[in-house]
Amino acid sequence: MPSVSRKRWNSWLVNGALILICLIALLPVATTVLISFKGERDIIRKPPNFFPCDTPTRAFDPTACRWAIEGYQRVLALKPADDGLLPFALTGNIVRVYIPNSLLYATTTALLVVFLAGMSGYAFSRYRFRGRNLLLVGILAITGVPLLTNLLALYQMGVVLRKAQLPFYDDRMFLVSVYMGFFLPLSVWIAKGFFDAIPRELEEAALIDGCSPFGSLLRISMPLALPGLMAVFLLTFVNVWNEFIAGYLLVAKNEFKPAMFGIYEFLGQNIINLQVVAAACILIALPIVVIFVFARRSFFSAMIEGAVKG
Amino acid sequence: MLPFWLILPTVAVLFTIQVYPALYTVWLSLQTREPQGWRFVGMDNFRRLSGMGVFGESIGHTIVFLVGYVSLTLVIGFFIALLLNRKLRFSGLYVTLLFIPWIIADIIVGIVFRLLVMPDYGLLSGILQNPALFPPNGLSVLTAVPPASWVGNFPFPPAPAMVYLIMAASWRALPFITLLLLAAMQTVPTEVVESSRIDGANGWQIVRRIMIPLMLPTLVVAIFSLTLSGMNGVGMVFSLTGGGPGSSTEVLSYMLYTLGWRQLEFGRAAALALLIAAVNWILIFATLRVTRVEERNN
Repeated sequence: MPSVSRKRWNSWLVNGALILICLIALLPVATTVLISFKGERDIIRKPPNFFPCDTPTRAFDPTACRWAIEGYQRVLALKPADDGLLPFALTGNIVRVYIPNSLLYATTTALLVVFLAGMSGYAFSRYRFRGRNLLLVGILAITGVPLLTNLLALYQMGVVLRKAQLPFYDDRMFLVSVYMGFFLPLSVWIAKGFFDAIPRELEEAALIDGCSPFGSLLRISMPLALPGLMAVFLLTFVNVWNEFIAGYLLVAKNEFKPAMFGIYEFLGQNIINLQVVAAACILIALPIVVIFVFARRSFFSAMIEGAVKG
Repeated sequence: MLPFWLILPTVAVLFTIQVYPALYTVWLSLQTREPQGWRFVGMDNFRRLSGMGVFGESIGHTIVFLVGYVSLTLVIGFFIALLLNRKLRFSGLYVTLLFIPWIIADIIVGIVFRLLVMPDYGLLSGILQNPALFPPNGLSVLTAVPPASWVGNFPFPPAPAMVYLIMAASWRALPFITLLLLAAMQTVPTEVVESSRIDGANGWQIVRRIMIPLMLPTLVVAIFSLTLSGMNGVGMVFSLTGGGPGSSTEVLSYMLYTLGWRQLEFGRAAALALLIAAVNWILIFATLRVTRVEERNN
């Protein structure tokens, strides 16, 4: 049976190649983790060595590794504190200011986008009205529009709004609106796709039983569309968390800027201390990677839904 | 009336954040900033923009970047998709692992790649800066000056930093393109592939004569979407090279930032934004056309 053994050999070869590709793909991530656990003494070595595990006599000795967490310590800047719930406080700007900001922007934007995309996705899926196709094509067209070219005008709008001194207004609201405007179009398409997959008969039954149209949307369709809306939420959350240029340029005060600005600022401040920069990268990227690994089905379903149309 | 109220908030947001600023950019591109306010100057901004030496340079850098980025990502993505396009026990695991670069922010990807080649201290610089391996002086990716151009002022061959930027950008774009191509590959009927194999076609012939023609619409969409993301992605330039060394990685998107926010030349920057937007719109409409043609064929 030469063909069977050849087939098996082929499958080993393909699996081996894919494992190798995965390793190469993750190599930059692995090196960043590695750097983040080095001490200053090993960071400034010339020429650099991969593992901080050499001794005067041996090039690599696993028992002599000088792993350090000073990178993380300097990002977090733990200080003892007597007030508050915890016996210590995180005083590093990244964890004290920038990550909470990003958390606020990502959550708020994702919630609003889910709400608006849910409503309009439902309307596009269930109703035939004048101008529907025109609106759908319009939304499809701006789905691909990148943020970059509108930034200049948005910046000027931000300046005008700031000068107007509206009550309760600050740059954070403006930034969330901008994020909404840019992540909404794709979300509308994704939400519409998910509503299309829900049978109409269920809603009709609710209407016959005396439910109002809005009530049937709220009680029947929304719960059924929940996995889809969850996908929209996660995708928007990650997109906002990872966005840099708008958060950098549209917000005037540093205390309102997001984590991606924080890491960029950090890069300028730690030219030699690579372990600190690496630790900051890990701290900011890790939550997103964890979310992705646990909710990957959600992401893939949203991407397939979005990719089919746009 | 219900659909109207359901859609109104979305349309209002999209109009304020997308449509109005786009029109505002058109207006801005015809103005110049003066102490008393804006003054209409017509096409002057475009004329002055095209007169800038940096503008021509940035176009050259952008073309080099795009050609490298699109072709590298497409070729490697196609290859990985070919490997994944069969029944494998662990394909779910492979896809998850391969997708991790896509979920990492571009600014962080830039920093991660920067840490590897930091002069003297980066992990790879021990190898790259070794004169024995890279004569005559070793290679310092982030500071090496670009080689002399072969074709007039066109930045080819590119600076090492540009090659490295292309690699980093491709690394991040690969997962998405791989998945896109894999999805298209799975629609290629296996009977066609099998029967051509029985007729004696080899692997390369199957790819060249059967898969590529059948996947053409998706390949075109992939090229357009890569061009779009490459044209407008600016985060990685910020954190990896900062446009340098010199101006050797200053692409149009980064030039928009320096012109608008460093030099505060809003009118000229708006003109540049409009030019980039025009390219974007051509790509978007071309994509829409291709996908619609594909839908009609199905």
